[in-house]
Amino acid sequence: MNISNGNLRLAYESIRTTKFRSTLTMLGIIIGVVAVILVVCIGEGVKRQIGQQVVRYGDNVVVVRPLSEHRGILGGDSVPVGAAAPLTLKDIETVRRLPAVAAAVPLSSVSGSIKGDRQVNTPLVIATTPEFATFIKPQLKYGGFFEASQDANQVVLGSKIVSDLYNDSMPLGQTLSYRGQEFLVAGVFKNFNAPPLSIESNFNNAVFIPYDTVRNLTGVEPSIYEVLVRAKPGTNMPAFARSVQATLVQSHGGAEDVAVSAAGKTGSGTDQTLRLLTLLTMAAAVIAFVVGGVGIMNMMFVTVTERIHEIGIRKAIGATNRQILKQFIAEAFVISCLGAVYGVVAAFAGIGLLRLYTSLQPIVVWPIVIIAPLVAIASGVLFGSIPAIKAARKDPIQALRHE
Amino acid sequence: MALIELKDVSKLYGFGDATNVALDEVTLTIEKGECVAVMGPSGCGKSTLMNVIGLLDHPSHGDYYLNGRRSARLGSSQRAKLRRDKIGFIFQSFNLLGRLTAIDNVALPLLYKGKSPLARHKIARAMLERVGLHDRTYYYPHQLSGGQTQCVAIARALVNDPEIIIADEPTGNLDTESSRLVMELLAEIHKSGNTVLFVTHNPELTRYATRVMYMQDGMIKHDEQKPLGVVGRYAHTVIYGEPESHEDDDIAGVSALMKARERNEPAEKPARKTTKRRKTTKKRGGTK
Ligand SMILES: Nc1ncnc2c1ncn2[C@@H]1O[C@H](COP(=O)(O)OP(=O)(O)OP(=O)(O)O)[C@@H](O)[C@H]1O
Ligand SMILES: [Mg+2]
Repeated sequence: MNISNGNLRLAYESIRTTKFRSTLTMLGIIIGVVAVILVVCIGEGVKRQIGQQVVRYGDNVVVVRPLSEHRGILGGDSVPVGAAAPLTLKDIETVRRLPAVAAAVPLSSVSGSIKGDRQVNTPLVIATTPEFATFIKPQLKYGGFFEASQDANQVVLGSKIVSDLYNDSMPLGQTLSYRGQEFLVAGVFKNFNAPPLSIESNFNNAVFIPYDTVRNLTGVEPSIYEVLVRAKPGTNMPAFARSVQATLVQSHGGAEDVAVSAAGKTGSGTDQTLRLLTLLTMAAAVIAFVVGGVGIMNMMFVTVTERIHEIGIRKAIGATNRQILKQFIAEAFVISCLGAVYGVVAAFAGIGLLRLYTSLQPIVVWPIVIIAPLVAIASGVLFGSIPAIKAARKDPIQALRHE
Repeated sequence: MALIELKDVSKLYGFGDATNVALDEVTLTIEKGECVAVMGPSGCGKSTLMNVIGLLDHPSHGDYYLNGRRSARLGSSQRAKLRRDKIGFIFQSFNLLGRLTAIDNVALPLLYKGKSPLARHKIARAMLERVGLHDRTYYYPHQLSGGQTQCVAIARALVNDPEIIIADEPTGNLDTESSRLVMELLAEIHKSGNTVLFVTHNPELTRYATRVMYMQDGMIKHDEQKPLGVVGRYAHTVIYGEPESHEDDDIAGVSALMKARERNEPAEKPARKTTKRRKTTKKRGGTK
């Protein structure tokens, strides 16, 4: 019996005439859909940003980090700045002697305030060697990277710290003082795609300073938190990483105190973050859908109770149980569909706003944009049919007497 | 084969001492083409009888045969389909769906029958025209007068061309003029060959009937065949009397129910003896 077209129209009428109540129900579905889409898209965005951070150095680069007793909250191997680290310049020399190594540079974070036009008290100052410039993809916006040791008193700035230090947006040739010494600003980087979750390598806020200069200034060797090692073209990277690891372990007298990870692959810390993120997303999705479904069920129960008399009339003039059931399920279906569509629209608006006003860069994940509303509709119909079954089973004469 | 046949049909509500007998072993046959008026004091079981005949309610005991089919054997969806195709119900309180326009209300039984939107529209329009409401097609029930609303309800009852029209106090909420309009419509339906059952408290309206049944305490007290245009013989006097109860009985503790049982056998024929004893106080106005 083909009565679905009429049912849908009646369902739509019914929803239109009880707009307020229907909107409340729809809200459940809308929130569910928005929550799921946003969480997944934000998660994907964060993943992408973390990924970008890792591949920033290129596929043929491995990262050597000291292994520390101290573990981050996520169990990752992030090292607190300034902690006693087993990596030294000697290690870099050792690594450089490997035949497959093209270049190796230390990254070291040093403390001390900086004064340009204005003072910055706790800047991120990274001491490194001139070769660093060959590791990073973003080019310099102005000037150049410090090159050989004769440029001992030069620094290069990240794009964001410029405005903290100087009135001028192009501070090339200006000076800043650090630890009582004058430095010349030799270059400014273009913007790095900075992931919001990574504090350690937010290069946009960093001041790059020659490693040797810092060593001369402080009299000690600044502790190295990361060594970047680039292989010669055509090297097998996993094998390369293993040989770097083995070489360092050997030179440390057998102590397994460094970790070598291929830059093209996410490190274990980020892996765990992503797993948690995926779990969080799934939990949020399930909760959102259950909330939406219960919202629909509630409204359907109210609807059924309010409309017992109507059900009685419909049955008196010949509606079968199945037809009553169809009508109420059609209503749940129409409400869910409208809610799902509004939800998708709202989610897109949310993604746009987040991109505009926050450092999150959500990415539209099309499968979820399609699956989320479908699941929402399914759960809406599922939860909606429970009261619908109740409505359909009503005895006609009792329903008619009900006011 | 009679169109409607009830054999010892009872309807009881409640349990034990609180048992309420709405229908008391009613045996009754209605042939095709009759126009039956049902009268009786409030609470005597008229609506219950209509609901049982209209397949809205189940009898507690006894058998009801509609077109020779035993109703107890029908499943709920078969009953629904019979209500849709064979029976048109008209209620005192109209029972239109307030959110639908007049034409959508009329078309509803067609929708449940599975007719196409175009056919629904055409048939429903023709029906509204038949009850004289073609200029109110897209009005909502709250925009119609009581009489017009009942006419829409009649159009809805007629839309599937049912054999039986059951009207439970169709004029109960209407003034004299609208009552006449509604009854004229029912008379017309009767004339075109349908069987009509209607409940009324207005003796004058028995003029439209070929048969008048007088009920009391769940039983049919009088069953009178009569020509059209004449008021039923007992319509003015019988029905609004107080329930029979003699002082002797009260003292003896004989309940009205037991008495009713005693008198059950002669109830088939009009029991004139009992009517003479009855007081004739009118409880509800004849013209309403
Ligand atoms: N759902 C119910 N539960 C209990 N008793 C009921 C129920 N429905 C009807 N009754 C009883 O059944 C009896 C017959 O009721 P019914 O509605 O058939 O009377 P009626 O003749 O139509 O009265 P009226 O003229 O006022 O419409 C009444 O005594 C009523 O109290
Ligand atoms: Mg009644």
